[in-house]
Amino acid sequence: MRIHTSSEGVTLAKNLEIESAQFYEEMAKQHPEVADAFRAFASENQKNARHIERTYYSVITDAIESGYCLNLESDDFTFDATIQAFGTHEPAVTQATQIEQCILSFYTTAEAQMGALMADLTRAFGQQAKKRRKRLLTLSELLQPDASSAK
Amino acid sequence: MALLKEPVQEIKTLQNYIGGEWVDSQSELADVTDPARCKPIARVPISTNDEVNSAIEAARLAFPEWRRTTPLTRSRLLFNLKELMEENFEKISRIQTQEHGKTIDESRGETRRGIENVEVACGIPTLLQGEYSEDVASGIDEWVIPSPLGVFGIISPFNFPWMIPLWSAPYAVATGNCIIIKPSSEVPLTQDFLGQLVEEAGFPPGVWNIVHGGRTVVNGLLDHPDIAGITFVGSTPTGRDVVYRRCGESGKRVLAQCGAKNFMTVMPDCDVDRTVAAMMTSFFGNAGQRCLAAANCVVAGADEAFYDMFVDKVVAAASNIRVGCGLDESTQMGPLRDASKKERVLGYIEQGLKDGARILLDGRSPEVAGGYPDTCFLGATVLEDVVPDSPVGSEEIFGPVMSIMRAGDLEEAIQITNANPFGNGHSIFTSSGANARNFQYNIESGNVGINIGIVAPMAFFPFSGMKDSFFGTLHTQGKEAIRFFTNSKVVIQRWF
Repeated sequence: MRIHTSSEGVTLAKNLEIESAQFYEEMAKQHPEVADAFRAFASENQKNARHIERTYYSVITDAIESGYCLNLESDDFTFDATIQAFGTHEPAVTQATQIEQCILSFYTTAEAQMGALMADLTRAFGQQAKKRRKRLLTLSELLQPDASSAK
Repeated sequence: MALLKEPVQEIKTLQNYIGGEWVDSQSELADVTDPARCKPIARVPISTNDEVNSAIEAARLAFPEWRRTTPLTRSRLLFNLKELMEENFEKISRIQTQEHGKTIDESRGETRRGIENVEVACGIPTLLQGEYSEDVASGIDEWVIPSPLGVFGIISPFNFPWMIPLWSAPYAVATGNCIIIKPSSEVPLTQDFLGQLVEEAGFPPGVWNIVHGGRTVVNGLLDHPDIAGITFVGSTPTGRDVVYRRCGESGKRVLAQCGAKNFMTVMPDCDVDRTVAAMMTSFFGNAGQRCLAAANCVVAGADEAFYDMFVDKVVAAASNIRVGCGLDESTQMGPLRDASKKERVLGYIEQGLKDGARILLDGRSPEVAGGYPDTCFLGATVLEDVVPDSPVGSEEIFGPVMSIMRAGDLEEAIQITNANPFGNGHSIFTSSGANARNFQYNIESGNVGINIGIVAPMAFFPFSGMKDSFFGTLHTQGKEAIRFFTNSKVVIQRWF
């Protein structure tokens, strides 16, 4: 579904954060080797959702182009959050990596489209994209040999 | 994305809020309708002169004690109010959308802008500080005290049911005055809810009053000797010929923020894609029902290739605007407030075509998403070759109609713009600082946009206006509002 308005964009961002948080919570229970990292991600995602919402509600005015700031296909930003009990933590980390790449793609695309039109909200999306890049590095470290229960 | 839940589920008969009490009106009632669904959602009293008078009396009686309330205490009550507004942010926004029709993004934006005025007024302990000079002559000191006047009337229009009263009300009460708000009877629910928040915030009875109604209430406020002043936002004929004139005759303070016909000058060096997005918001946001909405797009320069490319992009973007119910998050443009406003806009489009304009995009029979009745809906309409002094080119349409004009260069664009009697919110889109400065310097407009389509000042700036867009001296919002609601009492002191 095509989305254009900031309200839709913010709703999509929050859904991505919350759904992935639920994934991390459940996967942490299945894979104690990466539980600390996954629980930290889950907690951070909840904060991210609140941060995006707070930024939106603080900056939204009719003077910015809230109705015309995006041109995204929401179906391009779906991920597989199926919870499975893998034998080792690597498949879970790989699945998490795909989730994070999807979310990063959303934030970078939305940030570029909104540009100067949406002021603080654009900046908030950029901040989230930066966090996702760091997280991808953390996930890749979890795939290294002897990387268990990483921070 | 979501169709958000309507906040108003049952039809309620509104009451006036007078002297801290919610009072049933004895007057006739009018329906308040949801313009997207065309169904009634409330009944509003069309209050009588006696009811206005009782509100004014309540405010007059409350004034002495409120005046003696310290600015710090008044500030703390405003902080309480701000907190309640934040807690109820989404509900306030959805009420606006339900009764007005605007999109949920637009309503949330309006909620935020209203709250910002309360935030500025919270600074009243500093804002109300006077000025003091010791020894203006040896042994003689002099100072000026801003002091409240008494009771003010606040008359507000339909297009911003939450925000526009808040351009005035927080400053009026922060400075020690008492107020009577007359909301638009078309969109009274938002102010009704605000009255509940005011009560919960702890404002003393009589400081903040709400009287619903129409002309009788306006006349009551204009004629009553205990009303020290009026703030009005609405049409130029009413603002200039009724409110401003009658206040002048009776010695009341007045500010009347009135109509507009905003020109957007587009230079060939503009950022085209961002300009087009800004134009969609400016021309079609709030379905064009905004005193800062752009109405005329003046493309400057002789570059035909640029003109053709630019107009094609504008028409393409406007043709994709999703029209529907404002509570649907995907809606980009909601309905007009009611069917009579839609008919008025249609009349202007037809007149424009008779006067020789070409229609590039016809929004008269839009596709309305969600299957809502099309009674109040229009799509975006784009006209080309509009003559600046034709009715479509010069009069306020207050609907989603863009009129495209040409100008040989920036100088001519400025001349065309300045020839119009209104001066509310003109903009230029350019990447040249020189063009921008030239425009800013020479344009006759209270609010000037440079790469900004809706030139809405923040609450700590005045909401300006010039020519037929404003009557008075001081504007709403910020420090000018503080001055509007206070007298300057100069004291000269000597001790023997």
